Amino acid sequence: MQKQQQTDSIPGIIRTIVVVGGGSAGWIAANRLAAKGARGSDDIVVKLVESATVPTIGVGEGTWPTMRNTLAKIGIGETEFLRSCDAAFKQGARFVGWKDGSPRDAYYHPLNPPAGAADLNLSPHWQQALADTPDRDFADWADFQQALCDAGLAPKTITAPEFGGVANYAYHLDAGKFATLLHDHAVDRLGVEHVVGDVTNVVMADNGDIASLELADGRSIAGDLFIDCTGFAALLIGKVYGVPFRPCNDVLFADRAIAMQVPYLTEDAPITSHTVSTASDAGWFWDIGLWARRGTGYVYSSAHIDDDAAEAALRAYVGPQAEQLSTRRITIEAGHRERFWEKNCVAVGLSAGFLEPLEASALMLVEASMDAIADRLPRTRSAMDVAARQFNDSFRHHWDRIIEFLKLHYAITKRTDTAFWRDNAAPESIPDSLKERLELWRQHPPAPQDFAHAREVFSWPSYQYVLHGMGFETQYPVVPATSPDAALARRWIGRMERMRGDAVAQMPRHRTLLRAIREHGLQAV
Amino acid sequence: MTRLVALDPARHHAVHVDPVAGAAVRQFCQIGLSEIALAAADMPLFLVKDAQTGRFNLIALFGLIEPRNLFWYNDAMQLTYLPRAASLTAFRLDAGGAAGLALDEADAAVGTRGQALFAADRSPAPFLATTRDALNAVVADVAAAQALVDGYAQQRLIRPLSLVLRHADGHEHAIGGLYGLDEDALASLDDATVVAMHRADRLAPAAVIAASHAQVERLRQLHNAAGLRAIEAFTLTLAE
Repeated sequence: MQKQQQTDSIPGIIRTIVVVGGGSAGWIAANRLAAKGARGSDDIVVKLVESATVPTIGVGEGTWPTMRNTLAKIGIGETEFLRSCDAAFKQGARFVGWKDGSPRDAYYHPLNPPAGAADLNLSPHWQQALADTPDRDFADWADFQQALCDAGLAPKTITAPEFGGVANYAYHLDAGKFATLLHDHAVDRLGVEHVVGDVTNVVMADNGDIASLELADGRSIAGDLFIDCTGFAALLIGKVYGVPFRPCNDVLFADRAIAMQVPYLTEDAPITSHTVSTASDAGWFWDIGLWARRGTGYVYSSAHIDDDAAEAALRAYVGPQAEQLSTRRITIEAGHRERFWEKNCVAVGLSAGFLEPLEASALMLVEASMDAIADRLPRTRSAMDVAARQFNDSFRHHWDRIIEFLKLHYAITKRTDTAFWRDNAAPESIPDSLKERLELWRQHPPAPQDFAHAREVFSWPSYQYVLHGMGFETQYPVVPATSPDAALARRWIGRMERMRGDAVAQMPRHRTLLRAIREHGLQAV
Repeated sequence: MTRLVALDPARHHAVHVDPVAGAAVRQFCQIGLSEIALAAADMPLFLVKDAQTGRFNLIALFGLIEPRNLFWYNDAMQLTYLPRAASLTAFRLDAGGAAGLALDEADAAVGTRGQALFAADRSPAPFLATTRDALNAVVADVAAAQALVDGYAQQRLIRPLSLVLRHADGHEHAIGGLYGLDEDALASLDDATVVAMHRADRLAPAAVIAASHAQVERLRQLHNAAGLRAIEAFTLTLAE
């Protein structure tokens, strides 16, 4: 009671947070905020308003390792998550046919960083190692995770604790089931008030803030902070505040996707523990393994292929099994808002922007946004404008870097077989900042100094994996074999090779582990 | 390595089993609920994860570095209580085997000394029925211990332990994979939970298991008395 009086006496205290929209983004937002409140912050009340008539998009079946932290922060155990969401482990992505389209064209972007990344940069050493083994993949030379993926092995054993593993990992999940789990957790355990109703009017305060939402049934939902998770509709950030949308379809051409869920043919079919991204004539196919099915799809440019031809291409990719299966078409408006936080409204999820799911950045951006909002929740309205400026600066940077990183996959291709790939490598489609870096990276390997933020969403090892995987020609300075740096590299590679041997010998098959977890569960420690 | 075979008079009529010989080479064994206080009088009790299920098993530790039972010396078990499973290592329950048993032919207890498994006419020796009954009792008792431990796990009372042994030359040997009960977490339980655990006979075992960790010092003394590379000191702490 004393605490209530204290906080009530603070002018402009942020007490009620209203999340609008009930997809993955909305429920992650509600959970993160409510979990923070449950840990003793000022008595925060979290309400989530969800339309009963607007379907969720259900995108984002791939995650980043950040999801492990998010689940832990909101109090969902890994066992519960894996069982409830038909989830599987994801150890990275394998890009097939992106480099030159030749039959053996494939490389990995694993989630493990290269060996010794905190100590040294392996790129120059790898360039020299190529002299002895010209066909060696950088990812396979510098880390052991590719070996696990190739062997169909899991990143951990049944004796590992929840959220811990031998190799770094994320998840593939069923987005619909994930939203259901998040809903149940938020409402049943964290006390989020779930309001089902259609927003018909937004009532503004004199200072330009949103004061309340009016629902079709006459109810009014007042709040101090509003999180816009209304998807492409962008009900608040777009329709109320008119924050402009910055398209990036001059850089990233994909504007359509067709999704198809493919059941396994047998109960014991292997489950791939990485995303397979296969280049095609006008885009690329995604292929991810869940517990009970695969999620597949074709991301493509409608300027380079029509929808029916794209669907035919996806069906051909899936094979005879596709004959009985339905598809779902999705329109991609690639780009993002100029600002994400306006007055007392923050856009999170698709309302903030969307990019093709080449590196599964959609849910990661939701998580990163909620880390920034929940962990630095403005205590009062007066602190909100500063928080908004910081947030907008930070996330404009993140979006630009993500667009640049996605473009990297296309920009350095040697494919010239279709207009899609030729157009993608055209200099006018490549952002100047990426052009500059590519010029730099011919002589110098990617390094932390190449980026403005200490915590980039794609850090320099990710650039290493893609650049070297794509066969980007480099001319790094030669490292003398007798130098301390060369000795350090040999030690790290030696250590990593021992880890590879141990991991391949000890890790279970991916499906075997998932089955064991479903049967026995993982321990918390 | 184990080599399990359904017990078969034709194959095993000449085999003998010396239960103590099997126990003498065990570094640890699972214990049952009823054995917690008895075993804790001699040896430290820990939790380890089952390799197949990841669930915690309750074990009594007999040895430190070398895979041996430090309580076995001067050709005898020098302890007040030997956990029952340690004497039954050669057998498993197997409805398809003679007397409902399978034999681990690779177990150290199996040889030409000790109890004969079959009579001259190849009928099962009474020893086998006794063994089967003992195994059934151990299985039930271990299951009860596992249920107890599952409860501790659900209450987040279990933490990984770090046991580091230090030799005189400063060399350290870490024993991994051990878990114990977090005494701070136990002390922080609310009154209602404490009462509920007490009524369910789950509180006292937790205290006994935690207190048994002092027996690591006993193992250190036995280790040094056995003439092995001396352990000067050890640390046993909750791992981060």
